[in-house]
Amino acid sequence: MVCYAEDVRRAYGDTVALDGVSLAVERGSVFALIGPNGAGKTTLIRSLTGTTEYEGTIELFGEPPSAVNSQRIGLLPQSFSPPERLTARELISYYAGLFENTRPVDDVLEDVGMEDAADTWYESLSGGQQRRVCVGTTLVNDPELLLLDEPTTGIDPAGRQDLWMLLDNLAAAGTTIVLTTHYMEEAQTLADQVALLNDGAIVADGPPEKLITEYGGPSQLSIECTEGTEIETATMAVGGLGEGVETDHRTVTIYGVSPREIDATLSALERADVEFDGLTWQEPDLETVYLTLTEDANDGATPHAEVTPLP
Amino acid sequence: MMSVARVTAEADSAYRSFVRRRTAVFFTFFFPVIIILIFGALVQTQPTGGGLFAEAPAYYVPGYLAVVVLFTPLSRVGSTVARHRDGNRFEKLATTPLTRVEWLLAHTLVNIAIIGVASCIILGLVVVTTGATIVFSWWLVPFILFGVALFCGLGALLGRIADSQDGVIAASNSIALPLLFLSETFITPALLPEWFRPALNLSPLTYFARGVRSATMPPGGDPTGACLVVTLLAVVFVIAGAYALPKTD
Repeated sequence: MVCYAEDVRRAYGDTVALDGVSLAVERGSVFALIGPNGAGKTTLIRSLTGTTEYEGTIELFGEPPSAVNSQRIGLLPQSFSPPERLTARELISYYAGLFENTRPVDDVLEDVGMEDAADTWYESLSGGQQRRVCVGTTLVNDPELLLLDEPTTGIDPAGRQDLWMLLDNLAAAGTTIVLTTHYMEEAQTLADQVALLNDGAIVADGPPEKLITEYGGPSQLSIECTEGTEIETATMAVGGLGEGVETDHRTVTIYGVSPREIDATLSALERADVEFDGLTWQEPDLETVYLTLTEDANDGATPHAEVTPLP
Repeated sequence: MMSVARVTAEADSAYRSFVRRRTAVFFTFFFPVIIILIFGALVQTQPTGGGLFAEAPAYYVPGYLAVVVLFTPLSRVGSTVARHRDGNRFEKLATTPLTRVEWLLAHTLVNIAIIGVASCIILGLVVVTTGATIVFSWWLVPFILFGVALFCGLGALLGRIADSQDGVIAASNSIALPLLFLSETFITPALLPEWFRPALNLSPLTYFARGVRSATMPPGGDPTGACLVVTLLAVVFVIAGAYALPKTD
């Protein structure tokens, strides 16, 4: 176990930032922390690196964070801003100069795709390039554990995909990665394990597929009826399909419809002379899980998607 | 050896960052120059009269040097700490082998280099513009070195206490200005109320001024005692400043 936490608590005055968080991260795996702003993600990262005080147990490589050899860790703090009038190459060299065993600076620049802009001042780089340099500073010591607090914030989609590939390769080579993100696609694509933090507590955790199965609810087929169409007629027409139906103004949503049943749905609507402007099929994903769980947690309800059964 | 490498890496980064901020570089050197031109060349000393600037020009050399030895490290280190904290740089550095003492030592070295150059300019300018007769004593080296270290430590403490760069600048001005004038630099103890004079001994800059004056102003005196006090205070303030450096919260 590379990273282990049990019943970790942290409060700032009356504000509880972490409320009994436990987690375990295996070697070479990617662990994603998701959750709303203020959920406690950054405080948890800080607790894991020992840069804030906490109650409970945290072990990195079997030792408390304060005792761990910093050579084994790479950290990208949230909103990290390095000295802005150094070039990308100088920044990588600077952080490399703080460690005993380091990778060649050019290799790190290549990893983060910054070879061409290596001699540009940090302040003159684009937001995405800046973030890539920041990620580069975490790789100089070839760490076994990477802790990345929102590593892809501000990076364009292409740059984000490059970074995902880099992180994927690092994990494949045995690097353990703990990251926080607001991009559900990122967590779903990269992570072996996902933990959803809300109000300082882990609301749900597990592999993304498991979370989706458990909390994502069924797939949805939404039919936006044409103005003037009787919504009851449409509801009756699709009555035999899926696991349940919900109506909202002009929209009929059928839950639990597989892609193969879309054709049957269209036929049923045609037979009932129901006209519609749009039809959307949506598979549950981590974003659905996130929205369901955070809304449910805030409402104090049991966390799962609810479907109205057909009579 | 690794410690030397880490301090070198940090100092190199800090030095490059500083020299590339041209406005900061310009005003670091312009500030003492303008003070010398105003007080030394424009107001001038009046050895036969009373009141301010009634001493021989050489008397004010410690004051002119104090402009950079006091102000520059105090505001530079203070605002650097604030900038590091705003950019979460300390959080990152906390996960590297660089210690807080090494960090402050690196930034102190950069300040010593900058202020060393500025001091040479000041000494030359004072002699040329005010006609001061001074001794270029080697004692100046430890006084400037440990004086800068002392105020770098104090700057780190300020950076910890103030919650923003603006706050650091306001705080450093509020501390530096009274110190500059109430440390036997520009105002002689005789011009101050008798009850206040013992308070001069509480200012670290007083020992710097006494020592530099003993070393540079003929007939001179023994600056050893003052140098020891400045050295001791430098060690205390650097250690206190290093441990005051924030990690995150």
